[in-house]
Amino acid sequence: MEVRYQVIVLGGGPAGLNAAKYAANAGYEVGLIDAGTRLGGQYWRHTGREEFDQSVHHNFDQGSLLMDAVLANPRITVHSETNIWSASIINDEVVLRTNNGAFITQRLILATGAYDRSLPFPGWDIPGVMTPGAAQSLLKGHGVLVGKRIVVAGTGPFLLPVATGLSSHGASVVGLLEASSKYSWAKNLLELLRNPAKALEGIGYLLALRGRKVEMRFRQAIVAAHASADGSLESVTIANLDSEWKIRSTYKLSCDVAAVGWGFTADTAIAYSLGLALDVDASGSISVVVDENQRARQPNAAIAIYAAGELTGIGGADLALVEGAIAGLAIAGSAQDLKTLKKRRKKLLRFAQALTKVYPVASGWKSWLSEDTTICRCEEISYSDINEAREEFDASDARTIKLLTRCGMGLCQGRICGRTIADLMNSTPQERISSASRPILSPITLGEVAQEGLL
Amino acid sequence: MSQSPDAIVIGAGIVGATTALALTNAGLKVLVLDRGSIASGTTSAGEGNILVSDKEPGAELDLALRSRDAWFELADDIGGGFELEAKGGVVVSSSGSESLRNLTSKQRDSGIDARDISSSELWELEPHLSRSINVGAYYPQDAQCQPMLATARVLQAVKQRGGDVVTGSEVLAIENRHGVVSSVVTSRGSYSAPVVINAAGTWAGAIARLAGAELPIAPRRGFILVSVPTPHRIFHKVYSSDYVANVASGDADLQSSAVVEGTQSGTILIGASRERVGFKEGIDYSVVRILAHQAIELFPFLANVQLMRVYRGFRPYAPDHLPVIGQDPIIKGLWHNAGHEGAGIGLAPGSAQLLADTILERHSFMNAAPFSPSRFSTVSSS
Amino acid sequence: MINFTFEGEPISVEPGTSVAAALLSHGERITRLTRFNSTPRSIFCGIGVCFDCLVEVDGEPNQRSCITTVKEGMVVKVQHGS
Repeated sequence: MEVRYQVIVLGGGPAGLNAAKYAANAGYEVGLIDAGTRLGGQYWRHTGREEFDQSVHHNFDQGSLLMDAVLANPRITVHSETNIWSASIINDEVVLRTNNGAFITQRLILATGAYDRSLPFPGWDIPGVMTPGAAQSLLKGHGVLVGKRIVVAGTGPFLLPVATGLSSHGASVVGLLEASSKYSWAKNLLELLRNPAKALEGIGYLLALRGRKVEMRFRQAIVAAHASADGSLESVTIANLDSEWKIRSTYKLSCDVAAVGWGFTADTAIAYSLGLALDVDASGSISVVVDENQRARQPNAAIAIYAAGELTGIGGADLALVEGAIAGLAIAGSAQDLKTLKKRRKKLLRFAQALTKVYPVASGWKSWLSEDTTICRCEEISYSDINEAREEFDASDARTIKLLTRCGMGLCQGRICGRTIADLMNSTPQERISSASRPILSPITLGEVAQEGLL
Repeated sequence: MSQSPDAIVIGAGIVGATTALALTNAGLKVLVLDRGSIASGTTSAGEGNILVSDKEPGAELDLALRSRDAWFELADDIGGGFELEAKGGVVVSSSGSESLRNLTSKQRDSGIDARDISSSELWELEPHLSRSINVGAYYPQDAQCQPMLATARVLQAVKQRGGDVVTGSEVLAIENRHGVVSSVVTSRGSYSAPVVINAAGTWAGAIARLAGAELPIAPRRGFILVSVPTPHRIFHKVYSSDYVANVASGDADLQSSAVVEGTQSGTILIGASRERVGFKEGIDYSVVRILAHQAIELFPFLANVQLMRVYRGFRPYAPDHLPVIGQDPIIKGLWHNAGHEGAGIGLAPGSAQLLADTILERHSFMNAAPFSPSRFSTVSSS
Repeated sequence: MINFTFEGEPISVEPGTSVAAALLSHGERITRLTRFNSTPRSIFCGIGVCFDCLVEVDGEPNQRSCITTVKEGMVVKVQHGS
């Protein structure tokens, strides 16, 4: 099967939904491709049971309206549960091969979002240790609590809604640990107060948690996890950290789930496949470079590729919505004035940049690793495997380490450990960008690849 | 190390590494240079083939046979550690038995252990092979290694035995005095040595030009498909006899024939395509599709196995498919060891030994004349 | 309700439930044993990125339980190795 659309939008989260809506309203036939079973992305992941969805979301009405508008729009065709396995440019067209056939366009909007950034620590591969996003997606998407006694840890504003959601649906949140200092907020107060709605949202979570006797502890992190006899998580070691995140003292806490996350990583693999210009910030985060209309840079003038949302820099759902709207209007060449949208984007961008300053990941996490700590979960490569390759062969770059140890060569294709390896090996920005290369974007059977009629 | 080693090897791929080891073992102080990291070019973009089965009788086959044994000697010398395995090759024919039987007969005359096998023997060697394939030959000498680890281990031995490896040093100029090589200028310093070896693989032509020489080596692009880890169901290197013809073909257009094998880590590797499109970046998914199709024709179960990765390599291609091993006809002291196309891993230790013997004016296992760099200038002047 | 089996045990869930959600809500945490060290793994990223929550579904290995929706009669097993 081959389908052509005037505009294709990748991703059914806030950015993609708005992009599709605005491009369709400007008169274009839009194909919206999403991997999920329901629209909404990670942010508006939902069960379809109204009462429950309202109870786990901060502002589900907004999402619900937008999803309904997209589904009801006759110019938008939604392709759910569609996984792209390759993206390439052939004869001045973008060709996306998926498990549901090939999709072709000359106007593409990428809104593929982000996933939790993980850092390795001893025991992070024990069943029960997971990302906050995993705990959140099971709750929001299925109403399932991942455990009874849960520690939420890491850094970033996302920990708050996750802890609140788990706590208010019956889990006992026995620890809420933020590795950053409580004073880092104060240092960036002015910028943060530019978005009072977000500040209030955060305070709301804190108050709700306080009502359930959950206090956020700062400068603390889970530095080891321990399994019971059956192999499941039983307890964690928590450390008080110094300003570099080195361990000062530790204590133990029993729990059945540790939800640990360190901000987000955008999935830039499709962007890389299509040859878009990418950038790396000081934290090692890769993003798509866009102009003031959200247009990405790539060499083929016959094709217009835009990007919106977390892919262009981690910034949250509000920013994603604005960027999606701008991308949808701009790709359609709409005459509508973008000035107001751009002004709002500017304000939200400054807030997002201030947030990244509040929640930096300090390098002391490397001191939490022990020789037998797993680094690559897929290929079961330990920290000592990497150190041996470094010492024995003088391997000094991430690519050589990968080829010598198979670290990052498993099923996830380095999505989880790639950034860790880059950090451990002090990769250059160019090396980090090259490591985004994933010619096969998601596994696909050879039988499907071999199908006749594919381009 | 001093700025004046006995020999400088340009290129830290498998050919450069084995050349450095051969010279080091002969008592020379060797410096290996690479603009990237070790094995960062074609070496890491292959399957680690050490094949005798895919060659027609001739000089290259003689080299391959010696080189195959040299791999096992090398493993003994440096203590292994690079997954060297005599897994054996199975070549199948879908176009009747005559051409394959002719090939094995000629190969046996050249000293290869090439065994014509019955269909039941074929299916016993590879139980998951398509039952529509019933003509095959078995080559117990065919072997495989993990080329990245092999290069790393060999270079480690070079260093332990007094040599040096400097990566991240791009060669900017190769100077000569009255036609005799004098020094190599890199982005990380200058070195001089009486012997400079160009082992830059696909980029050997560019290195030759820096020295004022000519070497007609061009890239021939190939893709390899990697499956997700699966239980072992493919036990040898299995390929179609079309591959032998493709290897020998000089056609610039795409040629592909499935070469399928399992690896120790559980993945299945599927090659091999060849096309001359320059250093063209990106992935051509139409080639990926053809390879997947051809692999499923050999092993129908592969239709349900997931593809996880694709990688691309640029093989160093010489117009007559033979490697270039010997002294440059114009610049004295400049030696080439390059142009091994898709057989560089297999031919590396043999080529290294042949070049070392030639440089040191020792008797070697074969005559190096067929690989002489001067063969190209003879052709152009005639 | 949708009925399926996990390691031979029948489980019933609401339509639209993912395999991971179904297993967790029935107290089943371990989805696979790794192929080199046979260590147990479970859901980690929850959104199809990490490939840790792999299960065998109707004889096909490497299925991500977090993004696979339960279907009537599905036979789900712990994935041993690859």
